[in-house]
Amino acid sequence: MIPRRIRAELAHRFAGGLALLVLVVAVAWVLARAFGVVGGTANVPLFIVVTLNGLTLAALYFIVASGFTLIFGLMRVVNMAHGSLYLLGGYIGLRLVEHRVNYWLALVLAALAIGVVGLVMQQVFLRWNQGQDLRQALITIAISVVLADQMIPTFGAAAVAIKAPDGLNSAVRFGLYDIRYPTFRLVVLGLAVLIGVSLWYGIQHTRFGMIIRAGVDDRAMTSALGVNVQAVLAVTFFVGALLAGLGGVLGGTMIALAPGQDASFLLSSLVVVIVGGMGSLAGALFGALALGLVAQLSGVYLPAGYTNFSILLTFALLVFVLAVRPIGLFGRR
Amino acid sequence: MKLTRVSSWLLVKRVAIAGILVVVLLVPQLFSTFFASSIGVQSLVLGIAAASIIFLNAVVGMVSLAQTALYGVAAYTTAKLAVDLGVDPWLAALVAVGVTVVVALLFGAVASRSEGIYFLMITLASAVITYYFFSQVTAFGSHEGINGVTPPALLGKPFVDPTGMYYGALISSVLIYLLVRYLRRTPFGYALQGVRDESIRMRALGFNVPLLRTAAFAVGAFIAAIGGVLLVWYNSSISPGTIDLTRTIDLLTIAVIGGLGRLEGAWLGALLFTVIQTYSPRYTDRFETLIGLVFLAVVLTSPGGIAGIAGSLDRWVQRRLAGRTA
Amino acid sequence: MAASPPDARALRVRGLSCRFGGVKAVSNVDLDVAGGERRAILGPNGAGKTTLFNLLFGEIFPSAGQVEVFGQDVTLIPARKRIKLGLTRTYQTSRLFPLLSVAENIYVAVLGAEGGHLRPLRLHRDDEFRARAQGIASRVGLSDRLDIVVGSLSHGEQRQLEVALALAGKPRIMMLDEPAAGLSPAERGSLTDLLLSLDPAVTLLVVEHDMDVALRVAQRVTVMHEGRVVAEGTPAEIRGNQLVHDLYLGRPRGSAEEPHARR
Repeated sequence: MIPRRIRAELAHRFAGGLALLVLVVAVAWVLARAFGVVGGTANVPLFIVVTLNGLTLAALYFIVASGFTLIFGLMRVVNMAHGSLYLLGGYIGLRLVEHRVNYWLALVLAALAIGVVGLVMQQVFLRWNQGQDLRQALITIAISVVLADQMIPTFGAAAVAIKAPDGLNSAVRFGLYDIRYPTFRLVVLGLAVLIGVSLWYGIQHTRFGMIIRAGVDDRAMTSALGVNVQAVLAVTFFVGALLAGLGGVLGGTMIALAPGQDASFLLSSLVVVIVGGMGSLAGALFGALALGLVAQLSGVYLPAGYTNFSILLTFALLVFVLAVRPIGLFGRR
Repeated sequence: MKLTRVSSWLLVKRVAIAGILVVVLLVPQLFSTFFASSIGVQSLVLGIAAASIIFLNAVVGMVSLAQTALYGVAAYTTAKLAVDLGVDPWLAALVAVGVTVVVALLFGAVASRSEGIYFLMITLASAVITYYFFSQVTAFGSHEGINGVTPPALLGKPFVDPTGMYYGALISSVLIYLLVRYLRRTPFGYALQGVRDESIRMRALGFNVPLLRTAAFAVGAFIAAIGGVLLVWYNSSISPGTIDLTRTIDLLTIAVIGGLGRLEGAWLGALLFTVIQTYSPRYTDRFETLIGLVFLAVVLTSPGGIAGIAGSLDRWVQRRLAGRTA
Repeated sequence: MAASPPDARALRVRGLSCRFGGVKAVSNVDLDVAGGERRAILGPNGAGKTTLFNLLFGEIFPSAGQVEVFGQDVTLIPARKRIKLGLTRTYQTSRLFPLLSVAENIYVAVLGAEGGHLRPLRLHRDDEFRARAQGIASRVGLSDRLDIVVGSLSHGEQRQLEVALALAGKPRIMMLDEPAAGLSPAERGSLTDLLLSLDPAVTLLVVEHDMDVALRVAQRVTVMHEGRVVAEGTPAEIRGNQLVHDLYLGRPRGSAEEPHARR
């Protein structure tokens, strides 16, 4: 029904078609390798495990990035300290668990603690310079530097892992191919779904969520409508930071905690939001899935000898989205 | 009366600046080898890298965190060519700068349609990805990096006698400074400044804004690449640790402390940073915390950095002197 | 209804529509503007006048409709190519280069029209461009303010500079978006004189909220309301048009007569 937008449409469709083609080829390649059609013997169990790795990693990315996109979407604050908050949350959870606190309690406490840290950060450093995007980004960068540097002497430079709660620290057996997969990672997957659904429900069906959606669209207008924007911003930052801390404890159990993990999770949050689109929960989901799967699958399924180039595929994903749709797949101007 | 006071001040200012420049020119003669090398060369080289950030921000309005990654590309290319392929250092440097500019053009082509904070995020993500690339790919030595890079004979051995390296870095810095100042007054420079201030107007006037941003990014990459080549020659090695997130932020810190809006700030910030970095270990282990706090203080109180403060001070003095009429 | 003049049409618009989400900002607009005509586009705030301009200039794309400039379909041509078609525009809120002087602002506009934007060399052409910039500054009455930085100009002078930027491209069609915005009565007078003194071969499209300036300058007037064209005619006809009168004086909605398109 849209007449005459031929040139624009063609360009868009070409880019979209190219993206689709690349996706199809990539999927076909991976499946071919997995099922032994190309290059060597079939290894379906490996494929399943790697895919599960990708999904569970995506789950972790989603939890962390949803906090990032919430803060970015509403406040235009690129919270460069998000990775540091992740790591700090993990370390706090670690200390609590080491002191024999119940795992789930530790999880909640650590998440809340980071929520408070985030809230304090926002109230002290970011409340008075709203709208100055660059300045706020620089402030959060400075905070991330200080946090990162202070965590090293406090928690050490060695990689450590949080012990999963009893009953969840072994593996689940699938009937299929007799695969065993770490239970905890599946728990993280489940938690991500739970969190995603809760956030979605909160944003779509509550008054608070409506204010957030309005704020993402037009901050000035929302403020003009007399909504207590300051309170909304504060709560949003609290929740965003809380999610980072939550992710930190889960990630610390699932993977490990070490200096450098903050950079890693800042990167993943950035990529998820760039790919998925600013302020969009659906975008965060999509971005996380894309990133998690690309990262894991490329590590295994790239032609032999090239697997150490797997990071380039992540980059390719990023560049691709930027070329086709600069505002992100689910982004809105 | 009024004119004399102000013009005396200007004279004093000019003499002071001249004096500083003379000192800068004679650092290898006036100071110890250690100082000339650690403070002198490092400040100049980091200053060049920071100048690429300040150029992009002050002239084009683009805040790029990819400059560290770009100088890493130049450094690694130089190292790889020189060490693994035995290429002549000057030729390796030339190729390295060329490769870096090409990478920047390709990257700029996709990134140039993003503005402001988006652009910042994209460049940061790319910088971290570049770090991972160099730390994972075996051809570049993974975590060890590449060692044994010798600078050209003309520049000498940096740790034995930094004189050659110092003057090489000094001449490069001066040329880059002059280049940017010249560019500002060319059609290209005007176009960039227009894009910085009113990109929508520029588009309506017929300018291709993404193309201009890409070209500017390439110029920034050129500057960063020179810094990278000098860096790898100075250190005789390059490893991923030189371009990790911490170093990326360090370079941004230098630019901000020096003054994001003034090109001179690049070297001022680099000097301050290098001095703190060299002498702070006597007092504390936690250099990054210290520099992070300085960074935070500057951003909170005086976003113009050292150069900004100097400029404000100068104007204040001139106003006070001009105000003292009979 | 008055027929459009039979000579070469500078601008021909058919069925132009544009929606933002659920709102139709511009709805099924037709327009015929002859070469050299002075056309005013009036309407209360929110009528879609600026959106129409953005559509005509290619800064946003329509959801339906067609725009022709001197017989050429330009509907989807991106904004930066419009200057080559002879189109220039000004903005409702001045978009000037704050750190540059008046002369430098106009120089940039001339550069935009002439090309060579990536040129890293200063050549003889630049002197020509600067001379042209000075000439344009005189045209708009800013010749004594050439070296003044934009930040130091008065609001009236800034609006004059806005017009100067649109003149720099040797346009065939100039689109002025509320050129009189925020001007004092005296300044409005000077602006009107300036507009009246422009080359008669140049087609002028002026959006205005203020009826006085528009009706003095215009030969024909198009009135918009809620994205639609609701009246069109000579200034005298529009002055006498009851519907337009009601729109501006704000008759309550839902009263006996609803605005409907008239040709």
